[in-house]
Amino acid sequence: MLVHLQGPWTPLIGRLALNQIPYDNPVIVGAFIFSVAAAAVFAGGVTYTGRWEYLWRNWLTTVDHKKIGIMYILVGMVMLFRGFIDAAMIRTQQVMAVGPESAGHLGALHGYMPPYHFDQVYSAHGAIMLLFAVTPILVGLMNIIVPLQIGARDMAYPYLNAIGLWLTTVGAALVMLSLFLGDFSHAGWVGLTPLTELPYSPGVGVDYWIWAIQISSVGTTLGAINLIATIVKMRAPGMIWSRLPVFTWTAMATNIIGLTAFPVLAATLFLLTLDRYLGTHFFTAGMGGNIMLYTDLFWVWGHPEVYFLVLPAFGILSEIIPTFSEKPLFGYTAMVFASLIIAGASWMVWLHHFFTMGAGPLVNAYFSIATMLVGIPTGVKVFNWAFTMYRARMRFDTPMLWAVGALFLLLIGGLTGMMLAVPAIDFQVHNSVFVIAHFHSMVLLIAFAIMGAISYWFPKVFGFKLDERLGKRVFWYWVAGSIMVFVPMYTLGFMGMTRRLDYISHPSWLPLIALEEIGIGLYWVALYYQVKQIYVSVRDRRKYRAGPDAWWTTRSLEWMTHSPVPFYNFAVTPVVHARDEWAWRKEQGLTSLRPDRYQDIHMPKNTPVPLILGALSFALGFGLVWRIWWLSALSITAIVIALILRSFDSDTDYVIPAAEVERMERQGSGVSGTTDTGHFPAGHAAGKRRFRAARPQDQ
Amino acid sequence: MGLPKIKIADLDTGAPWNNGHRTIDVAASGTTVLWDSSHHEHDAISTRTFGFWLYMLSDAMILAALFTAYAVLRHNYAGAPTAAQIVHPGYAFRETLLVFSSVFAFGLTMSALKQGSRAGVINGIVVSFLIGAAFLGMEFHEFSGLISQGITPERSGFLSAYYAMVLVHGLHMVFGLLWMAVMVVQIMRQGFTDNVVYRLLNLKIFWQFQAVIWVCVFTVVYL
Amino acid sequence: MTPEDLAFQRAPAPSARSLGVNRTLRHGQNFRPAGLALLGCALLTGCSTHSLSLFHPKGPIAATELHLMIIDVAIMLGIIIPTTLLVTWFLWRYRASTGRGPYDPNWSHSTAIEVVVWSVPLMVVAVLGYYSYKGVYEVNPYHPTVIAHRADGAPIEVDVIATDWQWLFIYPKQHIATIDELVIPAHTRVQFHLTSAAVTNSFFIPELVGQIYVMPGMPTEQAMLVSDPGTYRGFSAALSGPGFSWMQFQTRAVTERKFARWVAHLQGLPRHLTFSAFDQLARPTINVHQTPQYYSHVQSGLFDHVIEEVRMGKVFTTPMAMTAHM
Repeated sequence: MLVHLQGPWTPLIGRLALNQIPYDNPVIVGAFIFSVAAAAVFAGGVTYTGRWEYLWRNWLTTVDHKKIGIMYILVGMVMLFRGFIDAAMIRTQQVMAVGPESAGHLGALHGYMPPYHFDQVYSAHGAIMLLFAVTPILVGLMNIIVPLQIGARDMAYPYLNAIGLWLTTVGAALVMLSLFLGDFSHAGWVGLTPLTELPYSPGVGVDYWIWAIQISSVGTTLGAINLIATIVKMRAPGMIWSRLPVFTWTAMATNIIGLTAFPVLAATLFLLTLDRYLGTHFFTAGMGGNIMLYTDLFWVWGHPEVYFLVLPAFGILSEIIPTFSEKPLFGYTAMVFASLIIAGASWMVWLHHFFTMGAGPLVNAYFSIATMLVGIPTGVKVFNWAFTMYRARMRFDTPMLWAVGALFLLLIGGLTGMMLAVPAIDFQVHNSVFVIAHFHSMVLLIAFAIMGAISYWFPKVFGFKLDERLGKRVFWYWVAGSIMVFVPMYTLGFMGMTRRLDYISHPSWLPLIALEEIGIGLYWVALYYQVKQIYVSVRDRRKYRAGPDAWWTTRSLEWMTHSPVPFYNFAVTPVVHARDEWAWRKEQGLTSLRPDRYQDIHMPKNTPVPLILGALSFALGFGLVWRIWWLSALSITAIVIALILRSFDSDTDYVIPAAEVERMERQGSGVSGTTDTGHFPAGHAAGKRRFRAARPQDQ
Repeated sequence: MGLPKIKIADLDTGAPWNNGHRTIDVAASGTTVLWDSSHHEHDAISTRTFGFWLYMLSDAMILAALFTAYAVLRHNYAGAPTAAQIVHPGYAFRETLLVFSSVFAFGLTMSALKQGSRAGVINGIVVSFLIGAAFLGMEFHEFSGLISQGITPERSGFLSAYYAMVLVHGLHMVFGLLWMAVMVVQIMRQGFTDNVVYRLLNLKIFWQFQAVIWVCVFTVVYL
Repeated sequence: MTPEDLAFQRAPAPSARSLGVNRTLRHGQNFRPAGLALLGCALLTGCSTHSLSLFHPKGPIAATELHLMIIDVAIMLGIIIPTTLLVTWFLWRYRASTGRGPYDPNWSHSTAIEVVVWSVPLMVVAVLGYYSYKGVYEVNPYHPTVIAHRADGAPIEVDVIATDWQWLFIYPKQHIATIDELVIPAHTRVQFHLTSAAVTNSFFIPELVGQIYVMPGMPTEQAMLVSDPGTYRGFSAALSGPGFSWMQFQTRAVTERKFARWVAHLQGLPRHLTFSAFDQLARPTINVHQTPQYYSHVQSGLFDHVIEEVRMGKVFTTPMAMTAHM
């Protein structure tokens, strides 16, 4: 061994030992039984219906950007659920562990989790929610929507796209595995140094954290390359930059951030890895290391990462609000520039995460003002959405509710963000639950946008809508839950409550903490209705069937093909004439989806290589976490060999003849009601209004 | 009946930031062209090379982070040998000459590719490979010497950064050599297919990038 | 076995002090309200600002920080409230179902509005930027201008060393030291030098002074002035491992005379703090009840010695048993 390790190590199984399985902890055993049961039900269902081959052929080996996007979102949803359970556990621990008289259970002094276990839960909550829930969901959405919005057949590199998906999945799988074998990092999702150094984190937890993030961030970087190249190189004729839908613009901005920021994280984690595995001194306190170097480098990635998440959310709002306002987005140009300015400014503000480090006043003042400057384009965005609603005809379908909710969250998050941008204020609330409440306002904004996006684009991807009544119920319970959790949390911040407390010495805080627990209960209700909504909608999918233009007032290119979208996206590549092409075509009465002539389509072939690479990366991650050197060396060799072998395969594409495309289109049109595109179903309220609106006296 | 081919350039005219609603494109037949029936393929080589440039940008960010770490830690000797004691600019200058020669040889390979000379390309790659391997040999000699004197990376922040900086560049070189070996086999088996050509072009970008990084390493670390 | 034993039995030397009976922290023993009383309590808490410690500063630095917060919020509300009202009004007026606003399906640009929406945030940022810049100097930990001119007489110097997971306060001039209790004279400038023997913490006394990181291998500084004698809660605000939640200390601001008496009392105590004694006390310890410890005859140069040792690579390793399966 290269460094001194506490605990046993053998060449064959590294640090693995039976006592690394926490079978004595009923919480983890329960989670394990639940996971195994869920996996068994899934596997049993697939076996019973005889769909293993379907699963392999249509999903596991696919390179179709829509299916990859769906799988990204599924991974994200599973992890979102896990992250929510973690949140519920945090809240429950805190409500149980208030005051010196509070009882302890399961070996804890107070509450039901000892400090080290509790620390892992919130570290996992943060890492999961940001990197394994919200990031995959947003990447999935961009994967599905961006190629459609620019009229492309697929992403620029479909094979690379699949690799990105499986690497992200491996990261998520490693986090899940840490629950049942060994432990997860206890040092917060940011991995504070020198706490993450080997002497202070002697177990495998930090190693799990490092490798899960490292492997998935490779996937995210590859995804960023892919999306930028797709937007730059794959646009349909006529899709000039000034006609690019705003969601695609934000995808562009966000992936420029991803492409440049994630490598910094990779390098930073790599150096931390060297510290933990080889005993170097990059981020140690002694021997010439520099602990704040880690903090700087981490936030040089970490802050752009925040905007990496929020920009697609802004893009989603910019799609939903015009659709349900029945008019174009106000100030398109300003919106685009605001997105790019935010992306650029995200690089100049990282130090505001540690104003309390003791930097000089000029440094703090610079980063304070730079941080505030980000508020300008963000404020402009708020006003532009507001003026999109001016002289509109707003319908409050579920996606619009989420969008409006996100708008109000942005106002709250903006207010508190401007407080935190002032160092003198930050000295008082840094690391307090006030900060937690602030950034949860912002990530809830992202979550609201995601929920809106899912209900908005669901009919496009699956061909039927989600139940509106239940969807609205989910929304209102989310809102109520958020108010109940975060209003008390802001208040507790003013009382001086620090984040990450596993024990709370102030009995007087109990009532507010109890309110937060009630809020968690409301989220559970929302979750129940969410599951019910999906169940009901899938069950009655014929009733909820949607045509290509599912919301009747949509504007961009993705609504100009069938729902669900055929695997080749557009039978013939559309020619773009206007900024909101579909709205323009509807105005001109050019709503037929049938081209005059079909043509051959080139498509990439399915391949199992990305899945194999994923499996090997998992073995690599596992070997490195447990320091099983032979396994690590074997997996990395196998990865290199697999990549080289694949590069010799020149038979990666195939052609669908024009006649076959035409046959599929005609068949498909019978199913998804192609020909009535753009026309409102007879008697639909919105349709009547729209035609009335077209009369001159209404304008 | 096929419609006349529509030129993308035609659509791009007009004020780029107007609201777009007024731009209506009318084909020769007098009707609006809604679907692009012309059979246009995206240029695979250009798309892939663009993606590789993006990858190079991300790699540059990794190295930028490492250079930052080096700059912060460069004077943190913690009692261990200092830069002046272990760095030999003359030796590193000879390494620099090797890097440049290897890149030059690869440049000749690219002109051979333009002439479609399979033997020329293979010879060029083999020469670049050998010079690159010689560079790695010198680097191996340098670091095995340090380690045998007990000057190991865990002795100080500076040594950690020094090893990481130089060896991460070395790792890139190893990857480049592996890539060259694979390309030789691919050229022999497949000839100059689109795939082989774009990979050679990307390898050229990659190999020149290594030289640029080495110049930075040489300047920052060895001088 | 008590739960305490279970949780901390593997900690090295859980000395009597860390498991002692001193339970003085609490105010309000009746904290176990039955179900329904809970909500009422919450409303009460909402109504009184008594427990909102950030709103009751007891020193000029905390007061300045609160003052800036109020200015910031007031300015921001000046823009947030009208925006909220505007959005709400639009939502009401232009709703499709029964809204009465006119419908203009192509209206999407207005240069006048664009100018306003860019310039209003810009002006707000300019004003807030001015206050932020001013505030940075007023509460600069190394030289807070709000108390610089108030320093009459020599300041009391306190060296603060964070260990895993206790606070050691050294009074270098008086050669005394305490653990988890900070006693200072009111109305006197207090000058802190801070460092850590293990990992990073954040030194924070909400009612008196804002945070400053306490980092291993390097010193930071903080200064403060207490205007009202009293007892204030101080704690670490940055995660430092399993004992973090218990890393608290009492700050007692007393009169000049009482302080002198207290110092004299401590100087008479038999327990000395040498470099090697520090190595004993700095081993990972969770002081569950923040039981104070007092030392006399502190070996001079201890603060610099700790920094130097850390820089030379000394670590107080967290034993595996304190982490795994706890």
